Amino acid sequence: MKKRSRILLLALLICAMSLPMIAEAGTPYKTYTVDGYGYVTETQTAYSPLTAITKVGETSFVRPVDMSLSKEGILYIADAGAKLILICDLEGKEVGRIGEGILSEPTGVYVSANNTVYVADRAAKRVFVFDSLGNLKAEYGKPNSPIYGDNMDFKPLKVVANESGTMYIICEGNMNGIVQISPVEGGSFLGYFGTNFTRLNPFQVLQRMILSDAQRAQLLATIPSTPTNLAIDKEGLIYTVTQGDGESSLKKLNIAGNNLIIPDAYDELCAAVTTGNYENIFVASSDGYVYEYNEEGELLFVFGGRDDGRQRIGLCNKVEAIEVDAQDRIYLLDSDKKQIHVFEPTEFTDLLHEALYLYSKGRYTESKAPLEQVLQMNSLFDYANKAMGRAYLQEENYTSALKYSKLSKDFIGYSDAFWEVRNVWLRNNIVPAFIMIVLLVVLIKVLKNLQKKKGIFDPVFRVFSKVKERILVKQLKYSSYFMKHPVDGCYGVRREQKASFLCANLLLLAFIVLSILNKYYCGFLMKTVREGRYDLLSDIGVVLLVFLALTACNYLVVTINDGEGSFKQLYCAYAYCLTPYIIIKPFVIIISNMLTQNEVFVLQFANLFIEVWIVILLFLSIKEVNNYSVKETVKVILLTAFTILIAALLVFIIYVLMSQAIEFVVTVIREAVYRIGN
Amino acid sequence: METKKKGKKLWIAIVPICLLLMAGIITVVFRSGVEAEAKNSPIVNAPKGTGSSAALSGAIVPDTTQTINDHKLVAENENYQLYLYESTLSIIVRDKNSGAIMESTVHNDKGLEGTNATWSGFLQSGVVVELQEDTNKLQKKLDLVNSGAKITVNLVKGGFQAKIDYPNYQFGFDMEVLLYDDGSFTASIPEYSIYENSEKQKIGNIYIFPLLGHTYLGEREGYMLIPDGNGALIYLNDKEGRFSAGYSQKVFGSDIGIDESYILSLFWGKYETHNDAEKVLAPIFGMVHTDSELGYLAVIEKGAEEATIWATPNGAYTNYNWTTASFRKSATYVQPTSNSGGSVTKVTDRISYDIQVRYFMVHGKNATYTGLANRYRDYLLEQNELQKSDNSFNIRLDFLGADVENWLLFKKDVTMTTTENIEEIYESLQKQGVVDIISLYKGWQDGGIWDLPVTSFDAGGSIGGNRKLKNLIKSSKEKGIRLYLYQDVMRANPDTSNTTFNTVKKMDKRLYSENTHRDVFEEFVYWTPSKTTSVVNKLVKSFLKNDINQIAFSGISNNLYTYTINDTMRTRQSTRESYEKLISSISEQTDLLLEEPLSCYWKYTDVLIDMPMGDSDYIFTDQSVPFLSMVLKGIIPMYGNYVNFEANKDQYFLKLIETGIFPSFYLTYEDPAKLIYTNSCNIYSSEYRVYRDTIVKYYNELKKADDLIKDSYMIEHEKLDNGLTVVTYNNGVRFYINYSKKDIVMNGITVPAMSYKVGEAE
Repeated sequence: MKKRSRILLLALLICAMSLPMIAEAGTPYKTYTVDGYGYVTETQTAYSPLTAITKVGETSFVRPVDMSLSKEGILYIADAGAKLILICDLEGKEVGRIGEGILSEPTGVYVSANNTVYVADRAAKRVFVFDSLGNLKAEYGKPNSPIYGDNMDFKPLKVVANESGTMYIICEGNMNGIVQISPVEGGSFLGYFGTNFTRLNPFQVLQRMILSDAQRAQLLATIPSTPTNLAIDKEGLIYTVTQGDGESSLKKLNIAGNNLIIPDAYDELCAAVTTGNYENIFVASSDGYVYEYNEEGELLFVFGGRDDGRQRIGLCNKVEAIEVDAQDRIYLLDSDKKQIHVFEPTEFTDLLHEALYLYSKGRYTESKAPLEQVLQMNSLFDYANKAMGRAYLQEENYTSALKYSKLSKDFIGYSDAFWEVRNVWLRNNIVPAFIMIVLLVVLIKVLKNLQKKKGIFDPVFRVFSKVKERILVKQLKYSSYFMKHPVDGCYGVRREQKASFLCANLLLLAFIVLSILNKYYCGFLMKTVREGRYDLLSDIGVVLLVFLALTACNYLVVTINDGEGSFKQLYCAYAYCLTPYIIIKPFVIIISNMLTQNEVFVLQFANLFIEVWIVILLFLSIKEVNNYSVKETVKVILLTAFTILIAALLVFIIYVLMSQAIEFVVTVIREAVYRIGN
Repeated sequence: METKKKGKKLWIAIVPICLLLMAGIITVVFRSGVEAEAKNSPIVNAPKGTGSSAALSGAIVPDTTQTINDHKLVAENENYQLYLYESTLSIIVRDKNSGAIMESTVHNDKGLEGTNATWSGFLQSGVVVELQEDTNKLQKKLDLVNSGAKITVNLVKGGFQAKIDYPNYQFGFDMEVLLYDDGSFTASIPEYSIYENSEKQKIGNIYIFPLLGHTYLGEREGYMLIPDGNGALIYLNDKEGRFSAGYSQKVFGSDIGIDESYILSLFWGKYETHNDAEKVLAPIFGMVHTDSELGYLAVIEKGAEEATIWATPNGAYTNYNWTTASFRKSATYVQPTSNSGGSVTKVTDRISYDIQVRYFMVHGKNATYTGLANRYRDYLLEQNELQKSDNSFNIRLDFLGADVENWLLFKKDVTMTTTENIEEIYESLQKQGVVDIISLYKGWQDGGIWDLPVTSFDAGGSIGGNRKLKNLIKSSKEKGIRLYLYQDVMRANPDTSNTTFNTVKKMDKRLYSENTHRDVFEEFVYWTPSKTTSVVNKLVKSFLKNDINQIAFSGISNNLYTYTINDTMRTRQSTRESYEKLISSISEQTDLLLEEPLSCYWKYTDVLIDMPMGDSDYIFTDQSVPFLSMVLKGIIPMYGNYVNFEANKDQYFLKLIETGIFPSFYLTYEDPAKLIYTNSCNIYSSEYRVYRDTIVKYYNELKKADDLIKDSYMIEHEKLDNGLTVVTYNNGVRFYINYSKKDIVMNGITVPAMSYKVGEAE
């Protein structure tokens, strides 16, 4: 499915200009969306920069680090430098301030539906709760529950609370997860929530296996990362973002703390998260990129970027918080520029939001109108295609559903639609097909009779038998015998000249052709490559390289291990081993075009069958051609693997040396050019 | 000391007179204001500064005197007087009618407080040189106060000549300032007067009158005009220290030849995320004091290729608002000596060219940006830099013929719009009444749009081949449709042609290549101007042989660069001269269109395509104004960027009405999804079937609006307090445009939300 590789922000000092082809006046950044394969495509501007709030009333920000937007559209800004919470309306007019003299370093602020203000204060090691008038209602320090951990410090960074007042607190350096505190009895610790997990890469696993306990203790402990920021939606679902946690960068956690989504794109430096008015999710990266997802974590837009001295509005330096108001405007708090950037949705985005809203309410037919408009503006827009497909599926218009789900690579939708379409086809064609089969059988019978009586096909058969007499054809035919009788077959290859290079090469060619056909022409559901995307050169190259390297290395090993096979014999035997693939795969390819996801196991079984068969044939070939025992065969196989490793290493070393040499020559020439130039 | 005392005495005399006059002016202004309101005419919505009458009093010198602030009168004409203070080469321009003055230096101790020595000297000098010391990348500012410069002034008829020598640095030059009868004055530094005797110390950049018309914080009302996109204003209000830098852009775009390093941010390591800022198409900048009703428009007449325009709001560097141009005389560049990062910094030879800036003064009612635009239009027409061409309305429909994608070892054509498709589209549109069409056919050549250079008339087989293309051009002509064949004649594609020789090398003698961040063709190089000339001449010959005379060029129309041939530097000026010569000769032989051309080529094209509609949205600009539209509307038809890629379609439509720019569409017959693996993958929406109805709608509505204007000039443009934008043409037609989401009533006319109304000027 769609997966984005690591996210990398390259900052290169270069002098290059982009092609000035389509300049969108105004917006300093491009907006991207992904197509069905996760392929990034440009799209219309989703949000245009509107303005920036640089001051609240007459007060400038000192070190703003968090903000929260109330239901009524009032912004609460935590200024860790000024040690207070500034309250303003969406134009930046001051409405009030909270916590002067109480707060030491407010790093997180959250305002609940009833305008209760929760403030996480890192330096004071407390969470303060104020009522809507700004009076201090309660404060919570480190929980004294033993589960919390005695040695664990309590430095709250961010906080949210649900309707009942239960607080979810991210604490600095607390890797156990989000601290959950209930307001009852002056604050009781409910436990840790939404803990991140660590993963070991294969190297670390190997390291751990080899090292002694003492050595292991010296390694950096792999500890789970602390979430960076969190948000809560109307239903009380918690959203967290964690920097550098791959697919878990963005999580949508239910009450039980289970993650409900896997985002199809994510940022390494995500800094804040919030939800919009259509159950859509917004994530801001600290570099100023804003991601908008639908409720399932499918990417709708990504836009924005860093201000590298360009001085244009809408570019950020260090984003700390994101909020979305009732008009779908986005507010980004930039602690470096000390301002709040405001973005407003464009007409394009408004259309998409309308569709999102209708679709989430189950009004599929109605959602088609705005979706169509979205697709008119950008036919590649993945989400719109998918929603369109699903809408048609609901309407039982399966051919249209098939079209859109294929465009959006929505495999489930495609499979469902295909099932229905196939049903209809079967219903319509089953009778004619049956009649055809019957007629065919009758025809064959009649022809057979005619042949018996009059021999009308004799000339044809004569040609056939002549062809059969040719050596090459005989050799090719032998492959099917080899497949069924490998031991005997190997004897034939070794002693009876039943094989030739030509024949082996032909088999190899057939294998390559079939593997390519399999890659590009199997059914949509089995496809691993993009539609319409071909890279035959590397397809052929890989097969040839692997086959030749294996054979050559194996030959080298065999010759010094008393193997009896010559290179030709090995080569031919191995080529013959591919026969099951050549014979069975065509059927698999054809059938794959007729199956839905429910029947995919048939294909998987067939593929497994082919693979196992080939492995057995290879094993027996090595054994028989060289006249080895089983033990010797295993030894040779292991040695071959080792040889290949060494060979690869050798190639790599040569490559490195060569590139060094080239670099040297180039440098000398450059230097000479420079000296002569002076 | 003596002069200072005298100055003080003078002040004592002047202040009471000023106060009296102020009172008078205020009454007059107030009255006229009341009258204006009574007439119900829209009042100019000048930006409101915190301007006080006290600040204004210094800006108006009511009586003609021989000296103002120690400046001596050196020249005068019907409307203006020019005063000079020799020791810092500071000038004052005074409007004789109102007494309003504009000063070119700061001599106000209050404003200089807290400013460091460098900037304080900068603020007090009429000319500032940036010193290029050895290969130091940071250039030191040499002002006339602290650098030990010697100034010898020689008064001449209409102005003065000043010889400026910097004995400490062994260089110097002459500057001449002359006042003309048309109300303009020029400042020029001829190349022959420049001398540099030291090996290590060279002239880096020269700023001329950097503080001309400056204002302090928000003391005054008015704005600076910057040539960003169509035009933008920076108000002279107090910015409260919000900005750390101001506008600073090279005229005619950046120079690829001399590294101007900037940071490229790639999203996910692959995708470019920034849209480039708009290029400076015309070498102009301006300053208007709306309170004292005096302003100027500066036009760089000579040396524009090397100029940078600055407009700095208060709070950035100093407390003053100032705008100027600086001229590059030498620059540093990095010469790499190895692949692993070894390099040395070098300095270019002196870039030789004359410098000349002309300041057009405007006063009274003309002291607005519309006044500046009207003045600039007159100037361009007088200078024959512009010629009036056919301004009738057309809708621009461009077509993409073909592009290629990777396929096996080869490239495969992705055909988007064939000649037959275009015929079909034209016919279907004509049936619906869309008849006035201008088209650019892109990607018509064999090998697709990026198969560059195009050296002969060789149409791609997949779009129909030469014969069908010729037929299409012929039949379009019969239908009255102007169809142009489009190609980039500056770029060359290393994958499709031999680019070993004649390609542009930067100052560091390395080949310049432009990264596309796309898959099929990863980079392009530039032909040198001489190679471009030969390629284009060959191509045009081939076109003419095939009876094709409608062609459109891009690339050379808006790119200038410094480059090297055989280790000798060729300047941007020489590039411009080569291109101009080529363009002028081709435009004589054919009907030539240029894509988003620089102002120096405007006279060679009779249609401007891809005109910017707005500005680049800099944080420090306060208002986007259709300045170039005001200059060009009614003279030469302008076509905007493609409607396809606009997210705010309704707003864009209104913007077309406001700017008088004609609409453009980029069309393909096939679904643009086919383009995803090509270099044109940024075209995600272009299918004709999708846009047919929009085209008809735009055509009908905009044609109706344009029929009212025909080829009138846009003479007034205002954004009113109530949110309406009002555009007035010289035939009396007035458009009221409402961008807001509420209906607005004015003068009895209700302008519905996101809509416009036509009215008449009083």
